[in-house]
Amino acid sequence: MIPILVQRLGAALVVAWLALTLVFVALRWIPGDAVDATLARGITSEADIAARRDALGLNDPIPRQYFDYLGGVLHGDWGESLVYGQPVTDIIAQNIGPTAALALGALLLGSTLGITLGILAGLSHWPPLRYGAEAAASLALATPVYWTATLAIYLFSVQFDLLPGVGASGARNLVLPVLVLGFHTAGSIAHVTASAVKETAQGDFVRTARAKGLPTPDVLDHILRVGLLPVVAVIALQFGFLLGGTVITETIFARRGLGRVLLRAISDRDYPVIQGVIVLSALAYSLINALADVLYTWIDPRINSHTEGR
Amino acid sequence: MERRPGGEANIRTGEKVMTRPRTHPIRRYRRRALALALLGGIAGLTLLAPWLATADPRHAVPADQWLAPSAAHPFGTDHLGRDVFSRVLYGGRQTLAMGLLALGITLGPGLVMGLVAGYAGRWVDRALMTVMDALLAIPSLLLALALIVVLGSGTTQAALAVGIAGIPVYARVTRAAALEARALPHIEAARSIGVRPVGILGRHILPVIRPVLLSFAGVTFGWALLNGAALMFLGYGGDIAAPDWGVMLAGAREAFRSAPWAAVAPGVALSLTVFATNLLASSFNGSRASK
Repeated sequence: MIPILVQRLGAALVVAWLALTLVFVALRWIPGDAVDATLARGITSEADIAARRDALGLNDPIPRQYFDYLGGVLHGDWGESLVYGQPVTDIIAQNIGPTAALALGALLLGSTLGITLGILAGLSHWPPLRYGAEAAASLALATPVYWTATLAIYLFSVQFDLLPGVGASGARNLVLPVLVLGFHTAGSIAHVTASAVKETAQGDFVRTARAKGLPTPDVLDHILRVGLLPVVAVIALQFGFLLGGTVITETIFARRGLGRVLLRAISDRDYPVIQGVIVLSALAYSLINALADVLYTWIDPRINSHTEGR
Repeated sequence: MERRPGGEANIRTGEKVMTRPRTHPIRRYRRRALALALLGGIAGLTLLAPWLATADPRHAVPADQWLAPSAAHPFGTDHLGRDVFSRVLYGGRQTLAMGLLALGITLGPGLVMGLVAGYAGRWVDRALMTVMDALLAIPSLLLALALIVVLGSGTTQAALAVGIAGIPVYARVTRAAALEARALPHIEAARSIGVRPVGILGRHILPVIRPVLLSFAGVTFGWALLNGAALMFLGYGGDIAAPDWGVMLAGAREAFRSAPWAAVAPGVALSLTVFATNLLASSFNGSRASK
């Protein structure tokens, strides 16, 4: 168990490092005068801009900048915002809370709803229920956050005045964003669950269980224990879509969070901040997937013997 | 239990292809017919926009701001008093064109890299897939946003960003399918009698994995539409007056408390298109046995 954990976490760190490298290289393609425009806020003379470029190490050769950045990241120094002069780690620390709450809440809701819909769509023998669940899953998949959010705010906070719509913080303010983002996430989890349990239900051991007269709940237990296994991996992968979704959800609900930090940084061309947020999500995403991988191997020890390592 | 090429990859790359092991062919064809009819209808409506539209989609009439749906404006008017019905019709052109462009940008490199990695194996595979994994670690919408920073805003740039962001997943799915197909007896036979790799890939592997590729292309198109509209929604499309479903949804956000119709029309249009696309994707999967 421990060797697998170490191996997977190591692989995740390597992937995150490569992602950092790609983002670093990509962002160096921003034209230099655009960076100057960002730096020029509040500074008037060209000499000052040049001095600031020097101080930030922007005039160093690219490889030098890269190794400085990499070394800094390892020591907890993620650079500083070109616009605000604040360390990127501070900006992240101040904004990560609301985003994490939103993402985890949505993941929880999306998994619960998705697995429920998936089981109904995959196993129900009553056609209206089966097609209903299938339709709900397809609907969830096809309705992006930026339009369900509008609808949800209209319904819950304008028509019925049940929940606060657009606002900054507080547990009650989390309900609607989680609902909207979780619903969209449920779609793909439901589809994977449905096909996994459906395929499992056709297995020989299920037929045997039925043939020997096991009551339906016990047969279901047989099916779900096997059928829900792949869902673990899919839920971890959904986390990536969720991180993308938080950007839009935070914008619509005017919530504080990393997503809005990222968007503001993009319009400012504040690339140390952009870099920081993207590297952080890549790191979180790879680590969560590594953990899911380990969990998966732990639940089903057969996996490790027949998959070539990834 | 037979496993189709790509079955494993579907789970591991987290893509949304519905693996329907025993869907009856007739049900699949019915699905496909319905999906094609929907998509054809939507495409037809947007193509016929100049004849169907009741107003100029860019023509603002400030006095007619936020009018409720009526005979003159079937879907109401937006914040600048423009006719929502006409804008939805014209908007589909840009949204669909962006989706198609992004799809093309994803498919070409994704397919080639996936096939090469899956077929060549060894260090080629490892090198290509390491880069793809690194890109996959960045959530696709964030990757698209990062590309927007470099490319700048504009509809073409947005489509390009979405298309590039989709490449790693498509390459992974193709590679997994090719890897599994390579082990099939007739392909092993072709290899052993010395058929050239290009011939094997083109004549033997591609036909076998075609359902997976088509199905995943459908899913990719759905993503491209949603991510493209998301970028437009966030305001990276350049021309903010252009009729576009994402832009319309962004504009409608300003007054959905009093005028929800401005969001409903483009939202329903977008969801319907994505729904039809996913339906079409699901109708391709698993048809290898019936071929």
